[in-house]
Formats: sequence, structure tokens, C-alpha cells
Amino acid sequence: MRKIRRYSLAAIIQIIVLIMASSPTRAEDPTTDGYVTRKEYDELKAQLLAMKKELDTLKKEREAGPKQEHTERQVVVGPHEVAPSQGEAVADTHKQVATEAPPPVVEAEGSLLGTTKFLLAGWAEAMYEQRNGSASTFSASLNPIFLWELTPKILFDGRLEIEPSGSGTNVNLVNAQISYLFNDYIAFGVGEFFSPSNVFVERFEPQWINKLPDRPIGVYQGVLPNISVGAQVRGGFPIGPTRVDYAFYVSNGPTLSTFNARTAGELDFSSYTDNNDDKAIGGRVGFLPIPGVEVGYGFETSRPGFQGTAFADLRALVQSVDLEVTRNSDLLKGRVNLFAQYAWSRVDHAVYDPDGSLGFGPLPLTAKRDGGYAAIAYRPTQLDIDLLRNFEMVFRWDHLSAEPSGLGDPSETRWTIGLDYWLSPSTVIKAAYEWDKPNGERNRNALFFQTAMGF
Amino acid sequence: MIRMLNRGLLAALLLLFISTSVNLFAGPKAKQKTAADSGSAASSDTYMGLTGEELWSNNCLRCHNIRPGTMYGNAQWDVIVHHMRLRANITGQEQRAIVEFLKSSK
Repeated sequence: MRKIRRYSLAAIIQIIVLIMASSPTRAEDPTTDGYVTRKEYDELKAQLLAMKKELDTLKKEREAGPKQEHTERQVVVGPHEVAPSQGEAVADTHKQVATEAPPPVVEAEGSLLGTTKFLLAGWAEAMYEQRNGSASTFSASLNPIFLWELTPKILFDGRLEIEPSGSGTNVNLVNAQISYLFNDYIAFGVGEFFSPSNVFVERFEPQWINKLPDRPIGVYQGVLPNISVGAQVRGGFPIGPTRVDYAFYVSNGPTLSTFNARTAGELDFSSYTDNNDDKAIGGRVGFLPIPGVEVGYGFETSRPGFQGTAFADLRALVQSVDLEVTRNSDLLKGRVNLFAQYAWSRVDHAVYDPDGSLGFGPLPLTAKRDGGYAAIAYRPTQLDIDLLRNFEMVFRWDHLSAEPSGLGDPSETRWTIGLDYWLSPSTVIKAAYEWDKPNGERNRNALFFQTAMGF
Repeated sequence: MIRMLNRGLLAALLLLFISTSVNLFAGPKAKQKTAADSGSAASSDTYMGLTGEELWSNNCLRCHNIRPGTMYGNAQWDVIVHHMRLRANITGQEQRAIVEFLKSSK
């Protein structure tokens, strides 16, 4: 019985071996579908070997290419001479295209990306604020800037402000502008842009540029526009050894507050849509007598009253003067920045709530408001010790006058001292203390810690 | 209104006076070469006798710390300096000189 079982097992194994051995035979059968013949297999193998050989040749040529180019460059141009202009380089490329080796990988990738250039820039910040009379709080925001250069003359720039608020996230479109470089001295822009009449907003607002954790009140609250929707022309040109820069714009204007006792006569720059057919006209002219020093004068004139009301013909004028000085001092072993800006707004005389129906009139008023700041910063950039060189001390005074009706917020003056530590040219840790005393009210002194990173 | 306009212009003149005063006691001036120093045919990386490096330093430092050329790629610098030209109102020649310097400084 045991012998019979052994014979059966041997027979089963033989059958399995026969089945397995028959598979290659089937593969060679020219009439079977779904399999290659020996002849086809050999042809494919030969093609693969030929391709491999060709690839090896190309690799060798590519490795030899840059070395040869580098040697030629050293002989012809020299290591420290200025590289040829882009136009010359392009012409040379055209001449040599038939004989030269394939372009380097970087160039090939560049051409794959196309001719337009896109860059995601911006900054992120995180802050802790402890202010007298308010609950202490952490805050954070992400401010991406989308830059898209369609051609060397056309640029789109747009910025978002994304920040957590309550149980959700606020997303604001801060600006979105298409600009065109007309020539070396003139550029046009349309869309939503930073008001050129307010130099702080245009240049110093990003928190990796602003040297203190908070922003000056005088240039943000009702005296000057921050964002304008319209069209602008801008540029700069030399006058002898000095330079002048300019920006003029036409945009939707501010709205005059007429219904609220506290804010009567105040200009509201936060509305991006206009309330009448009259457009605001504004601008700024800057003068640079020497490198690192700029003096500017900005203005905006508008009719802020609602169309069809008694306030429609009132005219508003805002003005601003600014000074920016950046100097390296051997005596102080470092860099000194001095920034200052002061602004005035004025709205023609009017009677607010003339019949008393709103409960605060009649209130005759020529609405005036002013505010500004001055800041000085020092960084010991010429010291040999890295740790000390990365510190920067900042001191700021800022002020905002009372709301024009006399029934709203009182005037406010603040003094702020800060210490920054720069982890990189665009990453900073800031600490600051602010003495804030609104006239006639309890103090709102504040302590800040902030980290900001520009990218 | 006119009286207010005068006040603004007066303040602008006052700031101009302060700025020139600051220059008297400030540190070394940025090197300002004459046209003769830089040769009769100025190359595209100079403007008003200033090199691309000096223009980069003078213009960028007015507002923020300068970032080294190695921080971004060539195409990125093209976009950044284009954007900054619009923001800081620099001329086209300055833009080209600065870009050329940043690309060559790597």
C-alpha cells in the first residue's frame, strides 16, 4: 500500500514538471496570441542595446560640454569681468546652435517653465499683545504676495491677508494690481493698490520691514487713505546728481461720515466703492538729494459726500509729509534709520444733523484731523560680534488728534521702545513696550512680542 | 484750504532742511563716481556713476534689510526687482543694474 502511494506521488510530480516545461514551448509557438516570438525578442534586445549605447554617448558629451565652455570662458572673458549682456548671449547662442553640445539641464528646465515668471512672496507673523484694559491675546497672520511677470513690462501683484478670527479665518484681498512699464521713467498701474499718498503703507507695512510690532495710529485711522481702487502713473527720474520720484492716481474717494455723532465729519477710507461720480485725485512726490535720504509730499483731494445730499459739494483735502534717512555711521559703528511722517485732513465747513433728527445736531463743523509718527532705529552693523550685530534698537513717537466732532475718541499720543533680534535679513524677533495715554482716559500701555518672517 | 496747503508745503521744506542737515554729520557718503571715473560708455550695470551693488544697497536699505543675491534664483530676482521698481519708483536703468549685480553676485 505504501509502495502504491509512493508511485502515485511520483506520478503527480512528473505531471507537474511536464506542465511547467510545456510553458516555454508555448511561448515559442508563432501562432499563439499575446506572446513574442524569439525573433521579436532578439530584435527588441538589439534595439535596447543600441539605445543604451546612444545614451552613454550623450552622457559623455554632456559631461565634457561645461568643462570646455568653462575653459573657453576663462580664456576669453576672464574670471572677474562682467558677463555679456543678455542680447549678446542670445545672439551667440543662435550662431553656435548647430555645433554646440545640448544645453545644460538648468536651461532646459527654464525653457520648460515658459517665458512667464511667477513668484510667491510675502510674510508671516505671530504676536503676543498684553494691553492695559484689554484681554491679552496671541494673534497670527499669513500675508502671501502673488507676483506674476507676464512679460518684462507687465506685472501682476496681489496680496492676501489671512488671519484667524473668532472661530474662523478671515481672508482679505489687500491689493490686486496690473502694471505696465511704459519706459524707464513711467509706469502705469490699474486695480487695487496701496495709496501712494501714504508712504508708510506703501513701503513699511510688512511686519518684517516695520521695526515695531504695531503700526503708527496717525497714518492708519481716518487721516490718510491706505488702499485705493483706480489707476495710477508713477516712476522716477534723475535731476543732475539727485533724483525725483512721483506717483499720481485717480481712484474711488473716501466717504464722509454724517450719521454718527462720534465720527461726524470724519473721512472713511475703508470703503472701496465710491459714493458719487467725483473721483479722488492724489499723489506723492519724493526728492532724494543724496543716496539714502528722501523727503516726500503726498496729497489727496476728493468730494466725500454722498451724491444728491447737502454734503455732495464738500471738498476734502489730505496732505502728508515724510522723511526717510538711512545712514551708515563709522562713529556709531552701525546703521541709523530715521523715519517720520505727518498728515493733515480737512473737510469743508458743513452743518451735520441740521434738523436734530439724529439726536446730536445741529453740529456746525470744519472737520480737521491730524496725526503722524517719528521713529529712529539703530543697529550696530559694524561690530565684529555676530550676536550684538543682530540686535536693533527702535524708538517711536506717534500721535493722532481727537475725532473732529469732539464727541468721539480723544487725542492719543504713544511712546514706544523696542528691541529686535534679526535671525536672517528678513526674519526678526521683536519685543516692545508702549506707553499709550489717550487724553482724559486711563492708560492703554502695552507689551508686545512678535516674530515676523519675510519670504 | 490754501492756508492748509501752505502748511503742508512748509513742512515738506522743513523736512528737506533736516535731511540735508543730517547729511552734514552722517557717516561716509555712498561713493558717487563721476561719468569720467566710470568711463564714457557706461555699462548696463552702472547708473549715475553708481554700480549695481551701490544702487542695490542705497535703494533697498532705504526701507528694509538687503537680501543677498544667493537668496533667490535669477528668474525670481527679475520678478522681485520689477515689483520693487514699481514700489520704490526707481528708474529702468537702476532696475537693470541691480538685477545684473544680483545675478552676478552668486
